[in-house]
Amino acid sequence: MHSTLRTLGLFVVLSVIASSRSANMAQAADDGLAKRIDESVAAKAKDDGPLASNCDDPAFVRRIYLDLAGRIPSVPEALAFIQSSDANKRVALIDKLLSSADYPRRMHDQFHAMLMERRGDNADWSKYLLASFEANKPWDQLAREILDPDSNYDALRGAAFFHTKRLDKVGQQETDYPGLTRDVGRLFLGMDLQCAQCHNHLFIDAYKQADFQGLFTVYQNTFIRTDLKFPAVGEKLMTKKQDFSSVFDKVAMSTGPRVPGGKEIDIPMFEKNQEYVTAPDRKTNFPGVPKFRPMQAIAQDLTSASNKSFAANYVNRLWFVMMGRGLVNPLDQQHVGNPPSHPELLEQLAQAAIDVKFDTKTLLRQIALSATYQRDAQLPSGADAPKPETYRVANEKRMTAEQIMSSVLVATGTHEKPTELKGEAEKNRAAFVKAFGNVPTDPEVEFSPSLKSSLFLLNDTLIMDCLQSAPGNLVDRLTQATDAASVANELYLSVLTRKPSAEEAADVDDYLKKNADRKQAAVTNLAWSLLASTEFCLNH
Amino acid sequence: MNNSLCKPWEHRLSRRQWLGVTAGAAGVVGLNGLPMPALADGLKRKYKQILFVWLDGGVSQLESWDPKPNTEFGGPFRAIPTSVPGVHFSELLPHTAKQMHHLAICRSVCTQDDAHSSGVDRIQRGDAKNRGVIYPYFGSAVTKLLGPNDSGLPPYVWIKPLSGGFMHKDAGFLGAKYGSLAFGDGKPPENLLKHASVSDQDLQDRAALRALADKRYSQTHRAGSTEANSFVFDMGLELMKRQDLFDTTKFSPRDVERYGTHDLGRHMLQARKMLEAGVTFVKVNSYGWDTHGDNFNGSLSLVSRFDQPFGAIIEDLAERGMLDNVLVIAMSEFGRTPRVNGHLGRDHWPEAWSIAMAGSGLKKGIVVGETNDNGTYVKTEPYDIGHMFHTWFNAIGINSEKTEYNNAGQPLPIAHEDMHPIKELLA
Repeated sequence: MHSTLRTLGLFVVLSVIASSRSANMAQAADDGLAKRIDESVAAKAKDDGPLASNCDDPAFVRRIYLDLAGRIPSVPEALAFIQSSDANKRVALIDKLLSSADYPRRMHDQFHAMLMERRGDNADWSKYLLASFEANKPWDQLAREILDPDSNYDALRGAAFFHTKRLDKVGQQETDYPGLTRDVGRLFLGMDLQCAQCHNHLFIDAYKQADFQGLFTVYQNTFIRTDLKFPAVGEKLMTKKQDFSSVFDKVAMSTGPRVPGGKEIDIPMFEKNQEYVTAPDRKTNFPGVPKFRPMQAIAQDLTSASNKSFAANYVNRLWFVMMGRGLVNPLDQQHVGNPPSHPELLEQLAQAAIDVKFDTKTLLRQIALSATYQRDAQLPSGADAPKPETYRVANEKRMTAEQIMSSVLVATGTHEKPTELKGEAEKNRAAFVKAFGNVPTDPEVEFSPSLKSSLFLLNDTLIMDCLQSAPGNLVDRLTQATDAASVANELYLSVLTRKPSAEEAADVDDYLKKNADRKQAAVTNLAWSLLASTEFCLNH
Repeated sequence: MNNSLCKPWEHRLSRRQWLGVTAGAAGVVGLNGLPMPALADGLKRKYKQILFVWLDGGVSQLESWDPKPNTEFGGPFRAIPTSVPGVHFSELLPHTAKQMHHLAICRSVCTQDDAHSSGVDRIQRGDAKNRGVIYPYFGSAVTKLLGPNDSGLPPYVWIKPLSGGFMHKDAGFLGAKYGSLAFGDGKPPENLLKHASVSDQDLQDRAALRALADKRYSQTHRAGSTEANSFVFDMGLELMKRQDLFDTTKFSPRDVERYGTHDLGRHMLQARKMLEAGVTFVKVNSYGWDTHGDNFNGSLSLVSRFDQPFGAIIEDLAERGMLDNVLVIAMSEFGRTPRVNGHLGRDHWPEAWSIAMAGSGLKKGIVVGETNDNGTYVKTEPYDIGHMFHTWFNAIGINSEKTEYNNAGQPLPIAHEDMHPIKELLA
């Protein structure tokens, strides 16, 4: 994965595409959308209780680095921000991070986890995602490229991994076409149609069996191409509609390809031997390119601006990334029976997404500018905890395994460049994902520490190595610090990006006094305890 | 997991919930470092536990619990008397036969699937009525329904040959956290050993300092996160203290001899130690029971290797008074054909087979159900795996006909609703 980062130069060419987006950036340079977010959230919170105040600079700098750069800030980065007297410094930092080299890596990690759900990694796929976020590719284009992958271009071919990994046979099981269908609905439309596979959904009136079948007919027609060495997906000829019937009433029905809520796509008929743009070739195993390609047709319909579910799902997921909870929650339960917490806000965000042509940076920027995003995470004292869907205080956000890894490296001062790991980088990343990621196919939404993650932090060599003293690293700096107050300040700023409270500083002092004869062990234990703390493992 | 329709979105069990559930079961203390035999009473835990022995591939009922010597399909082995007059086992079960007064055997099991690939899952998930959801394995079900205990140890462990890890697929719609922690070849999970650079004092300090940091954080943030974090650290530290569960070199030589030095013997002995340590559900696996060829030599070796540790663990659990609360089950995905095939093997036979049980909630020393004279079919009321799930749930105090799962708003019966507990088995 990190080697692909180094070869990134090859794909910077793609960022030319992004320049056409700069007009959109300028158009949304005001904070109009941010203001509307705040109005909507304030109106809704009125009945629940007061809004928390703006978070302080240390809290903000940690939060925004984690969200946009995928890691905590280093001590110099944090101090530069905290000590700056520029009244506009938050806006400036947001813009700086959005154009930093960390940003595409961060988005790669987040969308890789979201779209592949820890099914596995692939170099072509990573290259594709990274280049896409480097170029700030519009989401509708990105989604189209994934839903109808083009194997003819090196830069785009990795997109097929979304399909090929799901079309892989696992052991003796059949190819999971229903699973692929379900994931297209969940991840691109926010609709989990699986319970509508065999009958209209029992609890969700809006999910019809025909909705599932209209997508299923497309994906059960696909296969993994065997003539290419990289992930690539092919389509068989489609000559007739999909027949289906409800397991309840057994009435025969049929549908052609159709996006849920959209129009059925006619299946064109061709003369014998006229079905292909490029005919199959048995010698090379080339499967041929049919004239009618349902994947292409669906990719167009599904991502069009007239498909409200597509835009709503997109902004809901961006909102979730930044705010820790979807306006529609769970993220894949978008339907009338599960209304969004802020219906008009979701609509405004979706419309804004269409207006700025699915420009991810612009939307993330507007969310980050809002007072809602910049709210303090501490609960009001005494009162009952506000409901998470009111956003009266900032919600805690689960960190990805990659965010935790990069932050551990920054906190412990293990590497100069936090996005790169020396030596066995990929193996190390895999170890963090194994410890902190969910099991394959399980969406990573809530904070879920496990026995795996605790044993990893307690005993794994990777963590222990980061805590070995080396010139200039955290443990070294703490060991060299002359008094307890400096140890406490350096420790809390490095790991938690904040000053210790008086109480915390006193505890450090006390612990160091008791262990005066073994200072290095003592500061190592202090550093470990903060790395293993809930405060470090969450973005808040 | 892709096929798991209708996923649940319930919240993680927070530490507070765990503690709430176990409040009634308080009073049992840890047993670290205490000598075992002297503490027979101390080992009696107040909560229910399960030992589930899975003989993968299909043990032959005729060479084990339901011998038919001198009949058409009976095979070469004799039947021997057991500790209960009138009840006979195959002569391949001499040790277990001595424990029959603790056992409950069902000889009228009749199930639906004769394929391994689907059968293993169907049987262990209880073969509930198909609603398009994937039901949990019995271990995941029990872990969910009984709730956590106060041992601080993982609730559902699986001791098996080959590889280990976290087996989330067991959990079905309950969600990954109810999966099993598998100890491959009885080996501990990754990272259980304290790192060489960390002293005992360091470890103790780190645990205390982390707890303090989390306590501070929880004063101004929602409690759920720190509760969940503390829970997994406490469990990790607790399990680290129990390296003895994995260090086979320290097992008592007498126990090793009684249980057998082979894998299954070693794993069964480990299972006893896990139960003593307080794990709720311990599954022990043995592979290679699919005796399509040379069933009789195969059974001679396999059943004997099962008999020795199974007899030993029943004896030990009984002696320690643990059978009052520990439910023991030994079974496969199906039985084997009475008819012997051309390779002197027996094939898959779900029509008429046996399951051996003991302990919590069950009658002692009884045989329920009967097959016909040559063992081909069940003569009495046939019992499917759904009846067994009902029975086992009730044996550990869960009313299987009233209790339901809540799968994201969808109520689901915990066992097949057309079936019922087997009254003759229940105490």
